[in-house]
Amino acid sequence: MRARTVELGLLVLATLITCVGYGMVLLAKQSADAASDVQNTFQTEVGGFMGIVVGLLLAAHVVVRMFAPLADGLLLPVAALLNGLGYVMIARLDEGLAAKQTGWTFIGLGAFSAVLLLLREPKKLQPYRYTFAVIGVGLLLLPLVPGIGVRINGAQIWLRLGPFSIQPGEFAKIVLAVFLAGYLADKRELLTLTNRRLGPIHLPDLRHFGPMLLAWGMALMVMIAQRDLGSSLLLFTLFVVMFYVATSKTAYVLTGLVMFMAGAVTSWRLFSHVQTRVDIWIDPFADPKGAGFQIAEASFALADGGLTGTGLGQGTPKKIPFAPTDMIFAAFGEEMGLLGATAILVTFLFFVGAGFRVATNARSPFEQLLAVGLTSLLGFQAFIIIGGILRVLPLTGVTLPFVSYGGSSLISNYIILAILVRISHNSVNQAAEELEEINSEAGEVGVSSKTRAKWKAVSA
Amino acid sequence: MNRPIRKVVMVLLGCFVLLFVQLNRIQFYGATALEDQPANSRTIQRDFDRPRGRILTSDDVVVAESTPTPGGFFEEQRAYPHNNLYAHTVGYTSFTFGAEGVEREYNDALIGRTAGQELSGLTDILSGRNPVGDVRLTLRHDMQTLARDGLGDRAGAVVALNPVNGDIYAMWSFPSFDPNLIAVNDGSVANEQWTALVNAEGNPLRAKTYRDIFFPGSTFKLVTAAAALENDVLSPTDPEFEAVESYVPPLTERPITNFGGATCGGNLIELLVVSCNTAFAQVAAEQLGPGPTVEAAERFGFNQVPPIDLPASVESIFPTDFGSAVENPDGFPAGVFENTPALAQTAIGQNDVSASPLQMALVAAAVANGGQVPTPHVLQQIEDSETRDVTSTYQPSVWLRAMAPDTAAQLTDAMIQVVERGTAQNMAIDGLIVGAKTGTAQLGTDPPRSHAWIVAFGGRASEPAELAVAVLVEGQEGSSEQTGGRVAAPIARSLFEQFFSSQ
Repeated sequence: MRARTVELGLLVLATLITCVGYGMVLLAKQSADAASDVQNTFQTEVGGFMGIVVGLLLAAHVVVRMFAPLADGLLLPVAALLNGLGYVMIARLDEGLAAKQTGWTFIGLGAFSAVLLLLREPKKLQPYRYTFAVIGVGLLLLPLVPGIGVRINGAQIWLRLGPFSIQPGEFAKIVLAVFLAGYLADKRELLTLTNRRLGPIHLPDLRHFGPMLLAWGMALMVMIAQRDLGSSLLLFTLFVVMFYVATSKTAYVLTGLVMFMAGAVTSWRLFSHVQTRVDIWIDPFADPKGAGFQIAEASFALADGGLTGTGLGQGTPKKIPFAPTDMIFAAFGEEMGLLGATAILVTFLFFVGAGFRVATNARSPFEQLLAVGLTSLLGFQAFIIIGGILRVLPLTGVTLPFVSYGGSSLISNYIILAILVRISHNSVNQAAEELEEINSEAGEVGVSSKTRAKWKAVSA
Repeated sequence: MNRPIRKVVMVLLGCFVLLFVQLNRIQFYGATALEDQPANSRTIQRDFDRPRGRILTSDDVVVAESTPTPGGFFEEQRAYPHNNLYAHTVGYTSFTFGAEGVEREYNDALIGRTAGQELSGLTDILSGRNPVGDVRLTLRHDMQTLARDGLGDRAGAVVALNPVNGDIYAMWSFPSFDPNLIAVNDGSVANEQWTALVNAEGNPLRAKTYRDIFFPGSTFKLVTAAAALENDVLSPTDPEFEAVESYVPPLTERPITNFGGATCGGNLIELLVVSCNTAFAQVAAEQLGPGPTVEAAERFGFNQVPPIDLPASVESIFPTDFGSAVENPDGFPAGVFENTPALAQTAIGQNDVSASPLQMALVAAAVANGGQVPTPHVLQQIEDSETRDVTSTYQPSVWLRAMAPDTAAQLTDAMIQVVERGTAQNMAIDGLIVGAKTGTAQLGTDPPRSHAWIVAFGGRASEPAELAVAVLVEGQEGSSEQTGGRVAAPIARSLFEQFFSSQ
């Protein structure tokens, strides 16, 4: 139960930080509005929803306590911190989004609870890997169906469902990670065996390789066709990482990189929108009021923030296009400065670290691969969007996990979190059961109580 | 599988280190360069969201202030309560068109960004005070209003200043514009109104007082007279010039005539009293020559940008190239140059000489101020907008030394006589000693039109002069030397009356 105590402590800390952030914005808004009689919706409405968000995050702890009491204690608080800070910034940027983001947080944590409740044994998903492959590709294809698919900001990745727009691609990523984990856990030994060589590279049997390449290739093609470059890049990274972890073969990574280069150059040659992205990446200030506007404004915002930031609520992050969604990191950089932005980077590293620890401790190859895949999804997605904002990579629109505004993204991130929490609990639980067995055996063979205590410590 | 997982962790860690390094480059090392990017509107936007100090006249009339605009484009909207009255001096501050006038010159003080204010902001950090500066001008609302009313709907300019310390009391030119039209925060509205002003007849955006130059006409004879006295070409009473109707400079057939074909002559005082063209042309062409005339003009400030504390003031022009020396059969002391005929014309304020009304006011000031040209300025002091403490005061200074005190005294006497019995008799005011010089710069149009000028100074008996004025009324009908005295003098006169009655 120690992990839960840590979790509760950290969770309280995360919500406190969120509340302090909210308080800073509130003070800034009040002093700005002091001279006028504008009704301060930030205090009434945003504050009320703020309480709901905090309550939901604390409720999630109770859910974990009930359904996965032995899980890692760091995952939920880190997600809660990112979600809470994101809420404050989103509401600060656009008060009208506060209610919606609260709703998405509610649904996200509902999905989190549902997954924890229903998915007691992730291993049981493994046999359905091909079904998942079909579902994954199907989800990606949905937005292309006339009538329900809509194009927003140039990307055909949205489904219009009544008043809501959802991005099925966000869920497809998880489904495809399940597929890859299932497939690779099954075939990893076969893939490691090589019977052909192409120059210095050992090639596995195409029979084992083929189905996966097919499914993955289709997914990638669909995303490129939908002009969703960020998700394509993410899916590609997911594939390379999982493949590498499954086989330990650096050669595959290199092959993957070569393929990526070829693909990148080809799409650069073929598609003008790719060329535009690259041009903007190389020199965003060539046309700072036009093509490079997004990056230029983000850079100006970051420069404005400097070391310590303008202070929450005191900058002008509304000038950044897409500030509540893709560009939210730049808004944090402006108002919390280099220090605050670095804190967010570190928070993501905490999450990634916790996620990979879950992977290392997982008790089956499938769970290990799944944990690696899901953690990588989150980690690299953060890298892709922050790197895009910081001009490390060409900017491709993906959300910053847990932080950005967006229902599909938040819900899928909470599903990922739930799966990681579940795997974490199961591995500790299983280790404890094994320990019990060893303990009873040890009792029979007379192991000292000191050694038993050591075993216990290891398993905790 | 733990070994490859660790490698993936290392790669992802490396990615985040890369992000951290780049974050430092953008937010720390490269921040200044980004802030200086022309496309970066954040600094100016920040200024627009902050309250800005007020601008006041010396008699406490608010001429520019910021009012909060909830729900507007910015938190604050700049307002100019007196519309066009101070437009050319105070200017405007516009998100779309930048800043002009005092708003531009003293922007740092108005937004609290001068070194002193930032230091005070540091010590006030606990009280959360954010000091901005109120700018108090030397302008007087009564004088400014009078200048506007005096000129009415005639194109022209009025400058009134203190001849000793350079305090500007009034600076008005017509047509003017309403800065509220440009300062409006809605960019598209501002744009539309700006375009209308740019295309408006008479170019109302231009401050004629310090950003435009005109033929100074006979008012320039003061400079020529100073040059002659300083170079000992003549004294106030000697020689007596023969009364003539016209004068033909060397190397030309074209005579220079007096207004209305008059005949005039006499000593220097007489020449100024009646504003005798022929004699001044002759003195410059035959006895002064290009060098000393140019030098004298430049000592008054010609060919230099006046150091007034307003942006983009223009220099008044006196030509410097009169060609090379040619044969001098008549043995003129000044020699003869290729362009001596032009010199003869510039000496009476025509041909290529052009002066701003500000410059001509400074000529009058120099005469009244013992030969010293004060540095003209509109700032009196900067005050803390909350505590009303004076944080800095303008330190008056001398811009130029135009002539020796003796020369100034002689010209003072001459200008007083111009008022007593010459072309500026309209300037005679009970209880004051006023000196003036009129000017009528012919524009060579048909029917004849001319710029009517008057420059004047005045003070109480046995006290130093306290006011110097230049008035220009553009494009008046007729071209007699009386035009300046008839048209421009009443405007100047009302300023003197107001100034001295209010003290």
